[in-house]
Amino acid sequence: MTTLNVRTGVLSPHRVAAAAGRALLIAVPVVLVSTFVTFMLGGLTDQDPASVVLGDSATPADVARMRAAFGLDQPLLSRYLLWLWNALHGDLGASWFTKIPVAQSIAERLPVSLSVAAGALLIAVVLGGVSGVLAAVRQGGRLDRAVTVVTSVLATVPGFVAAIALITVFSLLVPVLPSGGWAPPSAGLLTWASFLLLPSVALSLDAAADVARQLRTGMADTLHENYIVGARVRGLPGWRVVLVHALRNGAGPAVAVLGMHVPRLIGGAVIVETVFALPGVGELTKTAALGGDVPVVQGALLVTIGVVLISSALVNVLLVKLRPAARREI
Amino acid sequence: MRAGKALKNVLAVAALVLTGCASQTSVGNMSAAGDRGDTLTWGWSLPSTWDPVTSAVGNDVHALTLVYEGITETDEKGEARPGLARSWTYAKDGRSVTFHLRPGLTFSDGTKLDAAAVKASLERGKGAKDSTVAPQLTTVESITADSTTDVTLRLSQVDYQIPLLLSGKTGQVVSPAAAKDATGLATRPVGAGPFVLKSYVPGSQATLVKNPTFWNADQIHVTNFVLKPAPDPSVAVAGLQSGQFDVADLTASQVGGVKAAGFPVGTTEVLPVRVLDVNNTVKPFDNPKVVRAISTAIDRQALVRTANFGHGRPVWQPFPEGYVAHDPELDNLYPHDVAKAKRLLAEAGHPDGIDIQLALGKAEDPVGELIQRQLNAAGIRTTLTVQTPGVNNYITRRYPFVLDQFNARQSPVQALQVLFGAQGLMNLGKTTPAGLPAAVARASGYPLTDPAYPAAIQAATRIAVTNMPNVFLFTVTRFTAHTPKVHGLRNWVDIQRFEGVRVEK
Amino acid sequence: MTTITGALRTRAGVIAATVLAAVLLLAVSGPFLAPYDPLENSAEILRPPGAAHWFGTDYLGRDVLSRVLAGAPTSVFTAFEAVGIGLVIGVVPGVTSVYLGRAYEWITLRIMDGLIALPFLIFAIAVAALLGNAVHQAMIAVGILLAPSFYRVTRAAALSHANAQYVTAARLFGASTWWVLRTHVWSKILPALVVATANATAGGLLIVSSLTFLGIGVVPPEPTWGGIVASGLGYLAQVPYGPVFPSLFIMATVGALNLLADAIRDTSGDHGRARALSRTGARRVRLT
Repeated sequence: MTTLNVRTGVLSPHRVAAAAGRALLIAVPVVLVSTFVTFMLGGLTDQDPASVVLGDSATPADVARMRAAFGLDQPLLSRYLLWLWNALHGDLGASWFTKIPVAQSIAERLPVSLSVAAGALLIAVVLGGVSGVLAAVRQGGRLDRAVTVVTSVLATVPGFVAAIALITVFSLLVPVLPSGGWAPPSAGLLTWASFLLLPSVALSLDAAADVARQLRTGMADTLHENYIVGARVRGLPGWRVVLVHALRNGAGPAVAVLGMHVPRLIGGAVIVETVFALPGVGELTKTAALGGDVPVVQGALLVTIGVVLISSALVNVLLVKLRPAARREI
Repeated sequence: MRAGKALKNVLAVAALVLTGCASQTSVGNMSAAGDRGDTLTWGWSLPSTWDPVTSAVGNDVHALTLVYEGITETDEKGEARPGLARSWTYAKDGRSVTFHLRPGLTFSDGTKLDAAAVKASLERGKGAKDSTVAPQLTTVESITADSTTDVTLRLSQVDYQIPLLLSGKTGQVVSPAAAKDATGLATRPVGAGPFVLKSYVPGSQATLVKNPTFWNADQIHVTNFVLKPAPDPSVAVAGLQSGQFDVADLTASQVGGVKAAGFPVGTTEVLPVRVLDVNNTVKPFDNPKVVRAISTAIDRQALVRTANFGHGRPVWQPFPEGYVAHDPELDNLYPHDVAKAKRLLAEAGHPDGIDIQLALGKAEDPVGELIQRQLNAAGIRTTLTVQTPGVNNYITRRYPFVLDQFNARQSPVQALQVLFGAQGLMNLGKTTPAGLPAAVARASGYPLTDPAYPAAIQAATRIAVTNMPNVFLFTVTRFTAHTPKVHGLRNWVDIQRFEGVRVEK
Repeated sequence: MTTITGALRTRAGVIAATVLAAVLLLAVSGPFLAPYDPLENSAEILRPPGAAHWFGTDYLGRDVLSRVLAGAPTSVFTAFEAVGIGLVIGVVPGVTSVYLGRAYEWITLRIMDGLIALPFLIFAIAVAALLGNAVHQAMIAVGILLAPSFYRVTRAAALSHANAQYVTAARLFGASTWWVLRTHVWSKILPALVVATANATAGGLLIVSSLTFLGIGVVPPEPTWGGIVASGLGYLAQVPYGPVFPSLFIMATVGALNLLADAIRDTSGDHGRARALSRTGARRVRLT
C-alpha cells in the first residue's frame, strides 16, 4: 500500500472532490448504457416464466394472466425504466423460481465476493509491487529476468488451471488449506482467512503479474530521469530515492492497470468461485443464468456494475492524487 | 490368520468404544455445536425448493427428507415402513385406509402434528394450484381426521399403493401454520423431520440442526448437518481430504481416485435408470419401427462399460432387477443388432437412413457421445445439441428426443403414471396405451403383500414398455464416498436417510 | 506492415511469430494432420501417453492428439470471431469520434464507457446461457465488450495525429476527411491496433477456454481446446495430466500473442508514443 499513500495530502481536497464529481457526472450515462444492455438480456431471451411456472396444463389465458403478473406484457422501455427505478430504491425483484428477493440473495453473497476481491487486490499490490520494484531496481539482472518470465507465463494461464493447481498443491499434496467452501468472519478470523487465501491468490495472479510488469516499466523509465539521477548525485539514500521519488512517479501506469483489474476481481471471479465452491455474486449470476432466472441475472449484473463503477471512480481519484497529469486520461 | 482375527477384535472393541463416546456426546452435549464431531457435511445437491408440494424435481426428495418426515418411510430396499404413522389399516374392500399417527408429535415450530394437521397437509398437496403432487392424490377422494391420531383416506378405487406413495414428497407433512405463507416455505421449511433448517443460501449451502422432537431422534447422532452441492469432480479428493465434505456423492470416473486416496466408497445400485425420452407424436419418432431401430442400435453393455466404468446393468424397462415391478420377460427385449436396426429402419421407409437430433442435459455427458456413434453406425445419423439451460423440457416439450434419467418414485404405480400416463410429466407425447389404465388399476387393487401383486404390477410394466417409445438404457449406480470418521452409512435404493450415522471427533 | 517487420527483427518477435505461424498452420491443416479420426471411439479409454497415442486417449478412447489438432480451427477462429466483432464496432467509432463533431464524440465515449462497466466473463456467460447455449452468442458478447479497448486505442492514436501540421496542411489543400484518414492517420493507428488485436485475441482464447470449462458453448462431439481441458478435468484420477496438453496449446498461443504484442509495441514508432498509448488504451486486454 506504500504506492498509494505516497502523495496523500499533497493535493487540496477540492481538486479531489472535483475529480470525484467529474467521475460521477460521467457515471450517469455510463449507468444508463450498461444497465440498459443488462436489461436487454432479459428482453432478448426466449425464457418465459409464465409457461414454466404454470406447467403444461396452462391455457393461453392463464399464460397471459401470468405474463401480466410478471409485468411482461408492458413495452420493453417502460419495463426497463420501472426496473431501474425500483432498483434505485433497493428493489431488484424476485427470482422467478424460488421467489426469493434478488436483493436479499445478493446481500448474502456480496460480502463473499468483496472479501475475495479485497484479498486478491491486497495480494496483487504486495506481490506485484515488491516484484515490480525489485525488477526495476535490478534492471537487466537475473531477478528482473525471472520476474519478466514469471509474469509472462502467469498471463497465459487460464484461471481455472491456476485454481485447480493451487488446490492440488495446498489441499492435496501439502494439506494445509481447505479446498473450497466459505466461512464468514464471525466463525473466527483465522478460519475466515484460511478459506479466503487460496481463492484470493488464484484471483490475484493475473493482476499481480500486470502490476509487476507495469511497475517495472514505469519505474525503470523514472529511474533514468534527470531528477532521480540528480537526487542520487545529491547523496540521498538509495531506498529513499526508489521508494519515494521513483515509485511516486513511476506508479501511475501500475495504478491505472490495477484500476482496470478491479472490475475483473469483482465480476470475473466466477471461475474462482466455481472451483472453490464460494457462494459469491459471480456464482449466483452463473447459476441463475444457467437456470434461466432472468431477474436474478439482471439484478446481480446491476449490482456488479455498481460496484465496478464505484471502485473505478475510487481508482481514478487515486490516480489524480498520485499524478495530477492523469486527469487528462480519465 | 490368528493375528488377523485378533486385530479384528481389537478394531471391533475400538469401534464400540468410539461409537459409545459419540452417542454420549450427541445426547449429553448438545451445546457443543460446531465441534467437528457433531457435524456432518453432505455433498449432494440442494433442492430446487424446500416445499415438497411445489417441487418439480424428483431428486429434491432426498434433501426434503432431512426436514420433513413422511406419513410413512421407505426402508433400504424401497418398501414402506412406519413413519409419522405407527401403522395403517386398510378397510376390507380396499377403498379406504386409516393411518394411526404416533401420539404427541410436534412440528419443528412447536405446533401440534395431529390428524388435523396431516389432513391439512395432504389437502394442500391435493388442492394447491401449483401442486406437483396432486396427480398422485387423484385416487384420494376425501380425507378425514377421525381422532387426534387417526387419519382416514377414502379412495375412489382400490389402491394399495398409498402407504408407499406417502413416504415421498406426497406424504411429507408440512406445518399448516407455515404453509399459510407458501412462498416463505420455499426457503423456510417447517416439518417434523430429523433436522431443522437453520440457514440456507440457495445454490450454496443449507445448514441444519438436529430436531430433538423428531419421533426417531434417538437414531440421529449428528447435531449439525450441512448440505452442499457435490464437489466439482476435479477437486473431490481434496474436498474430502480437507474436511470440506464428510460424505460426498461421486461420479463413476471419480471412484478410483477417491478410493486410491484412502476414502471408503459405498456403491449402491439405486432405483433410477438412464433413459431416452421420446415424443412419439413428432416425426420420425411417431413410427414405432424407427424407435425400435434406435433401441436395437444401442449397445447398452458398451454404454455401461465405457461411460460408467462397468457400473450398472442394461435395462429395457424403468425398474432394475430385484424391484417388484421389474418384469424379467423384458430383459434383453431389444438386443444390440446393427443389421436388424438397419432392416427396421428400411421397413419404416428409411432405407437410406434418417437424420435425428438428440438433446443432452449437459455437454460433458459421455453417454450422449457414445449413443451418437452407435446410432450413426446403424444409419441413424444423429447430431447432438445441448438443451438451453433452465428450460424444462417436460413442460416446453421443445426437444422430442432427450437423454434423461428417470428418478424412481416411491410407488411403482406412480412411476408408471409419471412415465406413461396420459398426463404423465415425463410422457412427452401424452399418449398412453389402451390397456395400461386397466392394468395399473388391477395392480393397485392388490395389497402389497398379496402373492398376486408382483405379477399384476409386472404385467402393467410389460404393457407400458412394449407400447411406449421410451428407450431405457442402464441402471444408475450411486457412489457415496465418506471420510473414515463417518460410521453407519447405509445403502438406500431410494431415499437416502441418516438414521444411525455417527461422526467421530 | 513496417511495424510487424520491425518487431520480427527482435528475438521475442521471432519466437512469437514462429509459435503463431505453427498455430495458424495447425488451425488450417490440423484436421488433416491428425493421426486418428478425432471422433472415433475405441475400447482404449483413458490411456496414458505412449507410442500409439502421443497425448493418450480420452474418456471415450479417442486420440487426444488428434482431438487437439482437430480442435485448433474452432478454438483459434472463435477467438478471431470475437476480436473481429470488437474491431468493427470499436475502430470505426474510434476513428470517426475524432472527426464527426462533439455530440457524436460524447455519445460514443459514453457508450464505450458503459460497455467497459460490464463485467466481462460473467456477462458473456449470461449472454450465452440466456440467448441459447452456443459459443457464437458468447463471442458476440465478448466482441461487444472488447470494442471499448479498440475504440480507445484508435481514438488515442487518431487524436494524437488529428491536428498534426501535415494533416492540417493536407486539409488546407482541400483533402477530404476520408483521404486524410486513409493516407495519414491509418498508418499511425495501425501499430497500436495490431498490439491491441494481439492482446485481445489472447484474451479471447482464455475466455473461450473459461466458458467451455463451465460447460458453456460446448457442442459434443466436436473438439475444442477448452472443451478437451474441461472434460479432462473429470478424469484426473485416471489421467492426471490429461488437461495438460490442450492447456499447453492454449498457453503457448496466448503467450506468443502477448509476446508479439510486446515486441511490436517496443519497436513501433518512437518509444514515448507507444508507452503513452499503453497507458491510455493499448493496455494488455486480459479478460478472465
